[in-house]
Amino acid sequence: MTARAMVIGLGSPDRGDDGIGAAVAERVQGVVGDNIEVLTREDPTSLVHAWHGRRAVVLVDSMISGAAPGTVSVRHAGTNDAPLPTFAFAAAGRGGSHAFGLAGAVELSRTLGTLPEHVAIVGIESKTFDHGPMSARVAASVDNAVAAVCAELESAGFPTAKANKPRR
Amino acid sequence: MTHQLKDGGQVLNVGMLARVEGEGGMHIEIKDREVISVKLNIFEPPRFYEGFLRGRKYTEPPDITARICGICPVAYQSASTEAMETICGVTTTDEIQLMRRLLYCGEWIESHSLHIFMLHAPDFLGFESVLEMAKDYPDVVNMALRLKKCGNDVMELVGGRAIHPVNVKVGGFYRMPTLTQLEGLRADLERGLEDALAAVQLVSTFEFPEMEQDYNYVSLRHPDWYPLERGTEIVASSGVRFPVAEIGEHVKEFHVEHSNALHAHFDGEKFFVGPLARYSLNFDQLSPRCQEAALKAGLGETCRNPFKSIIVRTVELAYAFEEALRIIDLWQDGHAPSVPVAPKAGEGIGASEAPRGTIWHRYKIDADGVILDAQIVPPTSQNQASIEADLRLAAQQWVDLDDHTLTHRCEAAIRNYDPCISCATHFLDLRVKRS
Repeated sequence: MTARAMVIGLGSPDRGDDGIGAAVAERVQGVVGDNIEVLTREDPTSLVHAWHGRRAVVLVDSMISGAAPGTVSVRHAGTNDAPLPTFAFAAAGRGGSHAFGLAGAVELSRTLGTLPEHVAIVGIESKTFDHGPMSARVAASVDNAVAAVCAELESAGFPTAKANKPRR
Repeated sequence: MTHQLKDGGQVLNVGMLARVEGEGGMHIEIKDREVISVKLNIFEPPRFYEGFLRGRKYTEPPDITARICGICPVAYQSASTEAMETICGVTTTDEIQLMRRLLYCGEWIESHSLHIFMLHAPDFLGFESVLEMAKDYPDVVNMALRLKKCGNDVMELVGGRAIHPVNVKVGGFYRMPTLTQLEGLRADLERGLEDALAAVQLVSTFEFPEMEQDYNYVSLRHPDWYPLERGTEIVASSGVRFPVAEIGEHVKEFHVEHSNALHAHFDGEKFFVGPLARYSLNFDQLSPRCQEAALKAGLGETCRNPFKSIIVRTVELAYAFEEALRIIDLWQDGHAPSVPVAPKAGEGIGASEAPRGTIWHRYKIDADGVILDAQIVPPTSQNQASIEADLRLAAQQWVDLDDHTLTHRCEAAIRNYDPCISCATHFLDLRVKRS
């Protein structure tokens, strides 16, 4: 039976802080039950069909907003939420695959009717996308990011071992 | 954006060129309704891959060069492994070659389905991007995403990863997929083949601008099959043909002032690599089913209208599905994933057919396998002169169109090549100057 909730770690594990999505997904795998599918993806176009049919999806990705590296923030992008800005794709170049990012995937999915009702994007403020390991502050944010993922699953009605434990 | 110049000329600045892999720019100058200058301006700094391969081990190029491009890494891996095996005097097994071909089918499926439906089709259907196109053509975009996923799945299973595969080595693979795993791809591939064949007919109904050039097409050729992962010789529509090892004697790279990506000439003239060239020089090697689909779509056995490259690319997409299924039909478990390759001093060339055209690598290594020299020649670099020639013809042929329409037509002419500017280099900005 298809799991009704899904956690997706997005990004390239080779490119510095872009590896945070996969790192968090790996940790989440250990604290959720079989009712939640956990996967990693590098190609944003694959999201459009990957999450189709799920009621709730938590997506984990690196982000740049100007906050301190390692800062964890959450944005909602489900069917009832406001559209994401796709200017990076639609205006700044109506780009090739290079410009097709997470926002493009969400909005294409919305148009095609494959977007889940609940989509939470857990973003981890990043510092470096060079080849190599994650920066220290981003690597140290994994626990907070995992907690944020579990809290989002919980609020969508999918309890996890982590979310049920009192936080110290 | 249009700028009036002091000399009465006009510059139309469109900004970043859309729907190509990477970014870049173009400058077209028109005076008294005559096109006087066309330049593909590529000003991204060189990426120095050839430089930093020197001093590395002969086993490293498949992993290092795969990082040049996220959409065609297998092309780099195939050319580099073949070059090293040629230098070291090693012939791999038929099964390793089959698995390489299957991996390459995955790349063609992934790259072609992306370009055909998400980057190129909006030109013919009148949309700025696939995001707008999806509102009116959701079935087509859903199909494109399904097809692309099939390519990703093949890459993941055979290559270990959908982007920048990690399972390729000089001598073969680190491990072979099992027949059971391969059979798991079958249902999606069968559906993909039917979808791709239907798509050939769909794209053939688009309206195509009338434009033809007497291109010198250049492609790999193999006596037994349509060229993908390797060939035995290079053939040209000029009638020239020679073993792959001699390509460096015919294709010469050179620097032009307005581009940081090297241009290239074939026997001193511009030339054209890519789906149109492959198709026109290897139609007889396509499967009967793909030949039939092509002819039914109105193509001849050769095609010289670059705008119809979208039909040819879709025929190749169907062929890649058919080949993937044929290889799975042939597969049996138990074959060694690789053969040993001991270093041997020498120089050699490897070539393959990237989704956007012939790519070739030349390496020189010493007796310990240390790379002394490296040369990487990707398809978009080789096509730059032909792209400029198409732009010159397009701008002249449609000079009376308004700036917006002319600019769009010129952009579409560039997209006919599915250029990978990231491979050649980066960044572009389209300008038309009239006076």
